[in-house]
Amino acid sequence: MTNVKNSSDAVRFGNTDLPAEQQEALRKAMRIEWATMGFLAVTTTMVFLVLGNSQAMKAAWVEDILSFLPPISFLVAAHAIRKPPSEKHPYGYHRSTGVAHLVAAVALTVMGGYLLVESVLGLLKAEHPTIGGIEIFGNTIWLGWLMMAVMIITSAPPVFLGRAKMKLAEKLHDKVLYADADMNKADWMTAIAAVAGVAGIGFGLWWADYGAALIISASILRDGIGNTRGAVSALMDKRAMTYDDKEPHPLGRQLDEYLRSLDWTRDAKSRIRDEGHVFHVESFVVPAGDSMPTFGQLEAARDACAAMDWKVQDIVIIPVAELPSELLPGPGSGGER
Amino acid sequence: MSRGSILVFLLATLLGLSGCRAYPADPEGTLDRVRGGTLRVGASLNGDWVAIRASGGDTSDKNLRDRDVQGKDAELVRGFAEHLGADIEWVAGTEQVLAEELKHGGLDLVIGGLDDKTPWTTHAGLTRPYVESEDERGKLHKHVMLVPLGENAFLLELDRYLMAAKESS
Repeated sequence: MTNVKNSSDAVRFGNTDLPAEQQEALRKAMRIEWATMGFLAVTTTMVFLVLGNSQAMKAAWVEDILSFLPPISFLVAAHAIRKPPSEKHPYGYHRSTGVAHLVAAVALTVMGGYLLVESVLGLLKAEHPTIGGIEIFGNTIWLGWLMMAVMIITSAPPVFLGRAKMKLAEKLHDKVLYADADMNKADWMTAIAAVAGVAGIGFGLWWADYGAALIISASILRDGIGNTRGAVSALMDKRAMTYDDKEPHPLGRQLDEYLRSLDWTRDAKSRIRDEGHVFHVESFVVPAGDSMPTFGQLEAARDACAAMDWKVQDIVIIPVAELPSELLPGPGSGGER
Repeated sequence: MSRGSILVFLLATLLGLSGCRAYPADPEGTLDRVRGGTLRVGASLNGDWVAIRASGGDTSDKNLRDRDVQGKDAELVRGFAEHLGADIEWVAGTEQVLAEELKHGGLDLVIGGLDDKTPWTTHAGLTRPYVESEDERGKLHKHVMLVPLGENAFLLELDRYLMAAKESS
């Protein structure tokens, strides 16, 4: 365990000292998330002011409100995970990211479902959305024009914020940031759907509004379900995946290959828990011949593994007579199939 | 199709369509029907806003003669009907009866000194507040009229008329 002597402004994840690249990425991510919240405060106010009776606008507005959750989750978690492990929390606070992710995902699911039901009911009851005039600089114009203008103006910035966050999510191996970026990137589609809905009302097609609202609420619900699934399986110690959950994390294979390549080992296999940013690794090694490895050999192997990636620091190496298959299901390493 | 071309297509459709017909349009065509025709107005008794004077004859008839209906709201409606070249068919009743009638297409407009806190938003659309008043408890009321849900061309025409009337008063 490293002794903490860093200056107080150094960014760390519990006991894990972050490399310069990750420190920079984390600071940048926090700045972008604050910027996102500032942007959302402006857009939710603007959209609220022109909300009117359009269900599509309401759905888009609720989605904007819900967009506060991932940045808040990220910032709260980023604060919590700095705490080093304690007697009460021997594994540290890394899981706070997963907890924050789950809370945000459940909120998305509930609100998406609620809006979906409300939109279907509105469609069945054929409640024609009513949008009248609004006075601007002495002229009375149709409020629908203003709605469309606001949605178009507010549609572009999240896409750029999302792209910036996506790069940082990969560097930090942060799934909340990834989910946030993924939602931001798709935000323009919500705006276009809302514009189409309001434009439809203008053409006398009252159902266009509910159609757009259905699309938007379905996308919120889909985000919610996908994120809930991801957050739950992460908390259930699913094997470590890449930041976008697309494939097993290559680190598992690299660790096993390294441990097998040592001249005092015959075989090795690890299981890895993704704690949020950092990995907890248990590596089972079968020594070559019948002799136990020395303390020096074990220490050296542990240090080499930890040096492989900043995410690996909490690693235990367990010498065993043969690999315990009941603890290591599957043919490959922890990180392959 | 790329995302960009979808956008261009959508915008072009919007601009093209908006150029060739009234925008916004009424799903049920209220404005077209009323213009040069008949404006069916529900009047609910309420102080200075809507007063109904029985002028002899058969008072049990719920359809009223034009000169029987007085008050600030009634005057505004008369002006609006004139603006559209329409005759007014007055119907007296309680707010509930009139709101139900409006919801089912039996009326085009309901007045009665209503304000923007009216509970009838499930039955009707509201105009912009066109005048404010203060009651004896010092509470501010922003007055509105009820229109059929979703008849947005009609509503916008009325909103424009009410705003213009507010300015000239």
